[in-house]
Amino acid sequence: MTEPGLPLAGLRVLDISSFIAAPAAAVVLGDWGADVIKVEGPDGDPNRRIMHDSSNYPKGEVNYPWHMDSRNKRSLVLDLKMPEARAALDRLIAVSDVLICNFPPPVRDKLGLGYDEVKRVNPRLIYASLTGYGETGPDRDRPGFDVTAYFARSGLLDAQRYEGGPPGVPVPAQGDRATAMTLVSAILMALIHRTKTGEGSWVGTSLLGNGLWSCGVIAQAALVGAYLPHRPPPDRPRSALGNIYRTSDDRWLQLTIVREAKMWPSVCETIGRPELLDDPRFATVEERRKRSGELAAILSEAFAGRDYEHWRQAMAAHGITFGVISRPQDIPDDEQAVACGAIVGTAIAELPRTLANPIKLGFAEARIAKSAPALGQHSDEVLAEAGLSGEEIARLRTSGAIR
Amino acid sequence: MSEALPLAGLPLSGLVVLDISSFIAAPAAAVALADFGADVIKIEPPGDGDPHRNSYRNASYPQSDTNFPWQLDGRLKRSIALDLKNADARVVLERLIGRADVMIVNFPPPARERLRLCWEDIEPINPRLVYCSLTGYGETGPDRDRPGFDVSAYFGRSGILDAARYEGGPPGLSLPAQGDRATAMTLVAAILLGLRQRDRTGKGCWVGTSLYANGVWANGTSAAGALIGAKLPPRQAPDRPRNALTNLYRTQDDRWLQLLMVRDDRLWEKFCAVITRPDLLADPRFTARADRRARALELVQELMPVFAAKTYAEWERLFAGTGIPFGVVGRLADVVDDEQAEHAGIFAETSNPDVPRTVNNPIRLGFAKPRPSGPPPAVGEHSEEILREAGFGAAEIAALKKSGALG
Repeated sequence: MTEPGLPLAGLRVLDISSFIAAPAAAVVLGDWGADVIKVEGPDGDPNRRIMHDSSNYPKGEVNYPWHMDSRNKRSLVLDLKMPEARAALDRLIAVSDVLICNFPPPVRDKLGLGYDEVKRVNPRLIYASLTGYGETGPDRDRPGFDVTAYFARSGLLDAQRYEGGPPGVPVPAQGDRATAMTLVSAILMALIHRTKTGEGSWVGTSLLGNGLWSCGVIAQAALVGAYLPHRPPPDRPRSALGNIYRTSDDRWLQLTIVREAKMWPSVCETIGRPELLDDPRFATVEERRKRSGELAAILSEAFAGRDYEHWRQAMAAHGITFGVISRPQDIPDDEQAVACGAIVGTAIAELPRTLANPIKLGFAEARIAKSAPALGQHSDEVLAEAGLSGEEIARLRTSGAIR
Repeated sequence: MSEALPLAGLPLSGLVVLDISSFIAAPAAAVALADFGADVIKIEPPGDGDPHRNSYRNASYPQSDTNFPWQLDGRLKRSIALDLKNADARVVLERLIGRADVMIVNFPPPARERLRLCWEDIEPINPRLVYCSLTGYGETGPDRDRPGFDVSAYFGRSGILDAARYEGGPPGLSLPAQGDRATAMTLVAAILLGLRQRDRTGKGCWVGTSLYANGVWANGTSAAGALIGAKLPPRQAPDRPRNALTNLYRTQDDRWLQLLMVRDDRLWEKFCAVITRPDLLADPRFTARADRRARALELVQELMPVFAAKTYAEWERLFAGTGIPFGVVGRLADVVDDEQAEHAGIFAETSNPDVPRTVNNPIRLGFAKPRPSGPPPAVGEHSEEILREAGFGAAEIAALKKSGALG
């Protein structure tokens, strides 16, 4: 199935999870050689339809989110509410190395998919659990999503706002994808443990825990009673020379001038306002800080007069450093995005390029992405590999336990 | 090991990690390894050490006299102060590399070459080493030598800040080290894959990641859309929603309530009662669901003053048990006392009286608990101890101190 040189070759992973964080972890394992079997209900993972269902997703002709979160997986459809399907799953569990699930605890219990039950079937299995809010406590049964558990509940959205403004907005699945890497790390720790002891184990993480880990600096500060004031909006910055400005083509420049005394004449020249240099209102760093709102208004008007490309060149010519706020549509053409391995080619005709997982290994290249599976595309094949006979498979099909 | 801790059951016990990195993403990965049993030796320049020791004085950090970030990113490490620019330090470094399992570096490539710390330089010293590299923008390409930071490489360059904003508004904001800490988990995964490879082949290897690639990965859904030319729809500002009943509202005490009333066909009547606006129920402008959608801008003007008239706690009480779904935009001040955060194992006690609680790493293992932490090390606190373990004699150590190679 997979190339023997990859670090996870020979590993069989059951991805019994839905949406993004947990399936994305399975993608990463698949990238590095694992044989990932996606176990779906008869309706399939709702992530197959999210591009259309969510108003916050970019719409395309190609189902790009599904390709990205399911590449190189095989799909098996099992109606786990039927006992014969559940029994077939046990046959698979018995021959697998890793099981990933993200059912809320009550559903998990109803399906008989708690760790204690699964462990009896395969004591060497690594059971990876993703929850919104953890495995115990008042909110353990609450379904958790990226925006609610990782971002809102953790305090990230409240902190990510301009003074007086509304809470920040995350990009789709931002926290899910970060959490996926934690889940991968947890699974790899368990593999090391299994190599040492021969035993399987339970591992897991929560979206809330990952949200707080990512804002660990301010969370740790809160633990000692220190808080970050909200950032003033760009029209009344603390310093007009450390601020963001909109260009005529609705892009933003991050001006970060540290050696202000030295750079001030270049700034005046770059924006075509040399007379500011002699303006007593802005003569010193202190004066400029004191009148930062006034100066920001002048700079905003100047930057709004020309497009991003003009300013990029003009500032480079004057040795002024600034940060790039790229737009998603800039990423595909960014040479550095290819150089750092973020963007890679695929073997999928309708989706020639995709995003690599960010892990780079000197000894192996990640597998090239092939099409995400159609629903139930590999049901027969996967069950046959688990030792089910043709007759058994046929019976399961007749009863509707597999599709 | 300097601390008598029950390490035997931890998955990474016995592993020696050299953390030759600075600031946050790479050192935070080393912390996660230490949490699960690795012996992490932090190699720092003598004198000030890792500049991150002073991050708490940074104006963009929460202001405190307690060095809280250093507790977070320095915990469970031992510090050796070694001046890598001093020729005498090389023998020490090579001896340490010879005994290590993992080495983590984040120098930009030119500094790495100058210090002879590239994998090609290191592999002959210890061919079983897992060498882990973090860069801002990758190991090749036009920007490979550019120092990368969280806000520029992970957030700005990846398109996250541009996308994380309301229509017509300024770009989104990131929090200190937010992307660094997410990237740390990728580094941990990369290192563990490297260790697995070593188990299989007996050979060490290079592994790594970049802040830029991690930012793009986090922004993966939108970036994958961009790769096929799909355009991200702009987020409507809360005063101009597409649907006034699934929207954010500011409360009297400047908090925000996420109203999530998707089934407003069933809940509209009850909602008008709970907010004590029976007039809205009778208002012909808002009778049908379709009317409420079509007149979202009119409805939001009615609702904003309603929500602004009561505090967050009052709204929470009023909505409780009504079946009207609403979400919490948490504040860190509340999160630190959140019972659920305790259950999820998010915070941990320390034995450092200055910083009694810290943020756990989010990995949970059924077979082991992360190690509790004491105070992080002072610069060079363990220099002599580490050198003795590596077989240096007292005279050698004294000579290194004298030459300034060892602090």
